[in-house]
Amino acid sequence: MDHPFPSAAWLAAFQEKLNQDQQYHEIAHNWEGDILFSIQADDSLEESTIMYLDLWHGTCRQARILEDGDIPKAAFELQAPYSNWVRILKGDLHPMQAMLTQKLKVKGNMTYMMRHVPTVLDFTRCAQEISQF
Amino acid sequence: MLQPILKVDLTTRQVENFFPPNEWISEYLGGASLAARILFDFLSKDLDPLEARSPLLFLNGPLTGSAGPAVGRFAVCGKSPATGLWAESNCGGFWGPELRKAGFDGVWVTGRAVSPVWLWIRDGKAEIRQADHLWGQDTYQVQASIQGELSEKNVRVASIGIGGESQIPFSLILCDHGRVAGRTGMGAVMGSKNLKAIAVKGSGEIPLIDWEAYRPIRSRANRELRAHNQSQVMRALGTAGGADYFDYIGTMPKKYFQSGVFEGAEKVSGSSFAETILSGVSACHACVIACGRVVTLADGKRRKGPEYETIAGFGPNLLIDEAAEITHLGELCDRYGLDSISMSNTIGLAYKMYEEGWITPADTGGLALVWGDAEAAKTCVEWTARRSSFGRLLAMGAKGLAAHFGQVEAAVQVNGLELAYHDPRGASGMALVYATSPRGGCHNQSDYFLVDMGHCEDDLGIRFFERQEGSVKAANVARHQDWRTVGNALVLCQLANVPPKDVLALVNAASGLRWSLEDLLRSGERGWNLKRVINVRLGLNRKSDRLPPALLRPLPDGGAAGYVPDLDGMLQAYYQARGWDQATGMPEKRKLAELGLAWVLVR
Repeated sequence: MDHPFPSAAWLAAFQEKLNQDQQYHEIAHNWEGDILFSIQADDSLEESTIMYLDLWHGTCRQARILEDGDIPKAAFELQAPYSNWVRILKGDLHPMQAMLTQKLKVKGNMTYMMRHVPTVLDFTRCAQEISQF
Repeated sequence: MLQPILKVDLTTRQVENFFPPNEWISEYLGGASLAARILFDFLSKDLDPLEARSPLLFLNGPLTGSAGPAVGRFAVCGKSPATGLWAESNCGGFWGPELRKAGFDGVWVTGRAVSPVWLWIRDGKAEIRQADHLWGQDTYQVQASIQGELSEKNVRVASIGIGGESQIPFSLILCDHGRVAGRTGMGAVMGSKNLKAIAVKGSGEIPLIDWEAYRPIRSRANRELRAHNQSQVMRALGTAGGADYFDYIGTMPKKYFQSGVFEGAEKVSGSSFAETILSGVSACHACVIACGRVVTLADGKRRKGPEYETIAGFGPNLLIDEAAEITHLGELCDRYGLDSISMSNTIGLAYKMYEEGWITPADTGGLALVWGDAEAAKTCVEWTARRSSFGRLLAMGAKGLAAHFGQVEAAVQVNGLELAYHDPRGASGMALVYATSPRGGCHNQSDYFLVDMGHCEDDLGIRFFERQEGSVKAANVARHQDWRTVGNALVLCQLANVPPKDVLALVNAASGLRWSLEDLLRSGERGWNLKRVINVRLGLNRKSDRLPPALLRPLPDGGAAGYVPDLDGMLQAYYQARGWDQATGMPEKRKLAELGLAWVLVR
């Protein structure tokens, strides 16, 4: 539970959490879509990182940190500076607030995203529960 | 840089130009705030909003028509036949920019024509024409008729339907592709003057003080607005893009504000419309968002799709879950010229009263009012527009209908205006917004439900408080109201998420001002307080700042279950933040002086 964010260890712990959490499994049972998490460098993070998660019917089928040039096309891309991700993971910034104030930028099918807000919120809960700062 | 206001007396058929004093323009900017200053001396308690001397003022803002970020709007103001208080409503489309190109920034109508007329404004000139042949036409028909009569391209027409003709207190003014000044019954005032329509066409330039400075700010602001998350949602899903979330957190009312859950809600959200009947989008003048919906139903005809308020009002509010039926109901309202929020509220109340047994088929002309019955709702709209059968009672609005049957507290309204569809039990800031809005139960003086969901503005000091917190957010609500009052002066669309510093830069470039953000907010606060003073003069008092009992009962289920806002505590904190007297609700002398409003005390 003390894996640094962002790191391969944090991502592995997150994947495990998503695959074991019953509440997430139920809420996200209709979700079909992979996501790129773009964590942009800022004063507290030297190098930008992109994580890829393949989310499918309440499970996470694949999770990996992407190398340069290895950026697959995903259904969604969520993009924010590192410090904003940290605020979200600490619970200081609600994901809806982050989206409404452009602290988190979203690319992808907005119809699908708005249909599945509860999934997004529970996904965030899982991320928060495996993060420590 | 405001152009003259065309002043038209329909009784004498006199037409003249009115130039507001420069200091008024620099203190109030334009739109609804400037209209409040201009009309201050013409609105009195004894004035019947539907009598000949009652004023009706259409007014642009300093950014109207400049192709800035969602600024192609105009305001319509006067005294409301629905509330007896200050009336304002603003509207998109292309009419305001066209008026500006025609050399005017406003039209101030008084008097009453002896028979129906329409007003034709063309490049600095105005002509009053007979409209007997247009009387009885719906709002889209009259546009086509006038455009055909003039044989000119791009003539923009703002008109009333038969609702306005028969002076129903919640009738609207519609222009272009179904853009409406819907609330507070300005269509009824227009109808009372026998004024069917105002058509405009201009070929002039939009006057701004410093175009060179304005253009690059405009380009940046439009680019950023287009890329904004919320704009993407609005373009893809329309204003109902948030409906799924509103349903989830319990801010979307169901069954006339009595239920927190409606199984069919997911069938009538913006997402659902996009997945089923959406066939295109539409935009107001130079708008980069394009929130307007174009839908295709079974008849194959492309038509305007409903926005959020219409969907919520004729959908979950009446427990109707068919997108096509909601679309038809919205279109009926538009064509007849009735505000869909007030109409759907009043029908919701009728359904409730019928269910409770307070009214029976003997009262409803034999019509059974059963939740989920769209055909009955359509009949109600038809009857209301024609004031026939049960429609004679529906045409009084929710407050009037409830009072007629001795159930006035059953109406979900504030000061005579039916509530918009954002339940304060799910977003408590809306409790203060509804209770203190200068025009009654309205969400367009502050869409604080979005702030309650996280849409704060750091640059303005508008912070985030939890959705169901109480008095701690009172000052924040007041600040947001001030900011939205700036928007209603400019006249800026509420969907335009433009950084405040960019709004400031646009205003300064357009108007030649050198204001700070605080100056801009102060102008909003001035406008808000002036409208408050107007309303106090019209009879509003401390007891008017209230919510209907239905909103002070907890919902049994859904995302907002079990919570009611502490309105008394919130109001106390709000008056303190506003500098208003706790006992009277009137702005204190010190506050009036601080805002340059001391003059109101000697009027």
